[in-house]
Amino acid sequence: MAQVSVHIPSILATLIGVREVAVNADSVKEALAQLTSRHPPLEQALFDEAGVLRAHVLCFHNAENTRWHAEGLDRAVLAGDRITILQAVAGG
Amino acid sequence: MATALFVGTDKGAFLFRSHDRVHWQQEAPQFKGWKVTAIGRARDGRFVAGSASHVYGPLLHLSDDLTRWSAVDQGPRYTNGRKLEQIWTITATQRGHYAGVAEAGLFFAVDPEGPWVAVPGLNDHPTRPAWQPGLGGLCAHVVLENPVNPDQLWCGISAVGVFRSDDGGESWHPKNRGVPIAIPDKEHKEVGFCVHGLALDPRDPSVLYRQDHLGMFRSTDSGDSWQHSNAGLPADFGFPVVADPHTGAVYAYPLESDEYRLPMGDAMAVYRTTDQAQSWVARGQGLAHEGGYASVLRGSMAVDDQSGIYFGTTAGTVHYSTSGGDVWHQLPCLLPRILCVKAFNL
Repeated sequence: MAQVSVHIPSILATLIGVREVAVNADSVKEALAQLTSRHPPLEQALFDEAGVLRAHVLCFHNAENTRWHAEGLDRAVLAGDRITILQAVAGG
Repeated sequence: MATALFVGTDKGAFLFRSHDRVHWQQEAPQFKGWKVTAIGRARDGRFVAGSASHVYGPLLHLSDDLTRWSAVDQGPRYTNGRKLEQIWTITATQRGHYAGVAEAGLFFAVDPEGPWVAVPGLNDHPTRPAWQPGLGGLCAHVVLENPVNPDQLWCGISAVGVFRSDDGGESWHPKNRGVPIAIPDKEHKEVGFCVHGLALDPRDPSVLYRQDHLGMFRSTDSGDSWQHSNAGLPADFGFPVVADPHTGAVYAYPLESDEYRLPMGDAMAVYRTTDQAQSWVARGQGLAHEGGYASVLRGSMAVDDQSGIYFGTTAGTVHYSTSGGDVWHQLPCLLPRILCVKAFNL
C-alpha cells in the first residue's frame, strides 16, 4: 500500500478539524474509504445514498479529475500522491 | 435565567445570549457556509442541529453547549433509493427522538447519536405513491407528541397532510377531515393536504392548531376533524403557528395568499389568539408598519419557557417580544435568510 494525502475543502474541514489526512491505499477509492472510515460524517457528505460520489463533489488524483477517466475512483495510487476533494463550480 | 437564541440561516447559524432578554450578545457564526435547517434539544439536554448543503447533503450535529458541535456518525439516511435532502425538524419525545426530513419521512433514534432508523409505518404508508412535493419540497416538517399519552403522535407533511399515530409511531393515519384539499390525487383522496405549521394546545392535548396552505384550522378532537378558525386573521396563507406553553396563547404570521406570500397591507404583523383560535388579533407594536415585506418561514417562529416569542425573517432580521406580542424588539443584526429559530432557557 502507498501512503497518500487526502485534502478536503475548508467547509468540510469544519466537520473533522483538519484539511489533510494521510492514508494508506492502493487506489483512490480505497483512500477515500480510509478517510471516511476514520471520519464517518464525511461518508455522508461525499457519497450519496447509492454510494456514488455526490454530483457536485469533484475528486482529483494529483492533477487529474477522476470523473474524466474510465477507471474513475479505481485509479491506482502511488506513494506521495495527492487526492484533492473540491466542490464543483455550480452556476450562480 | 439565561436565554440562548439559536438562529439557523441559509449560510450558517447565529447564537444570541442574554441574561435579561434586553441585552443580547451575538456570538461568532457557526456552521459557516452551511444551511442550518433545524434545531432541537435532546432528552438528555444536548442540542441537536440539522445542516444541509447543495453539494454535501444534510448532516446531523450534537452539542453540549450550542457552541462546539460534532457531526453524528449514524444520522438519518435512506437505504431504499429515496434521497435525503434536508432535515426539517428534530423533536424529542418521551421515548426517543424523531427527525422529520425531505424526501418526506421520519427517522427515530433512542439516543441522538444514532443509529437513526427509518419509521416504516409513515415512510412506506400505502398513500406514499400519491405524495407530491410542494414549493418547499416533499418534507416532513413537524412532529408533535401528546404529553399525557406518548403513544399519540402527529406528523405534518407539506402538500400531503397531517398523519396521526395512536400506537407510538408504529402505524400512521391521515387526519385531514374538514380541510380543503390542495393537490387532489386520482386514487388516494386522503392525502394532498398542504399543512404548513402545526401546534398542540399546551393546556388540552386534544386541541391542535394548523396553519394550512388554505387557511388556519383548529381541531378539538386530536385531529379527527378540523374547523376553519380564521376570525380576525387578514389572510388564510402563512407558515408558522406556535403555542406558548404557559399562557396557551397561539401566534401566527399571516401572509397574503400563496400567489404573493407577503405580509398583508405592507406591514409586518404577528397575530395572537388567547381563546383557542376563536378570534385572532394583530400584535405588532415595534414591527415595521410601513414597508414591511419580510416573510417568516415555518420553522422560524418559537416560544420559549418564559413566554418569550421570537421570529426570524426571510430578510434576515430577528424580532422578539417578552410581552405576549404586544411590543416587539429587533436584534441589531442582519443575517442571511432565516430558516429556523429556537430559544432555550438555560
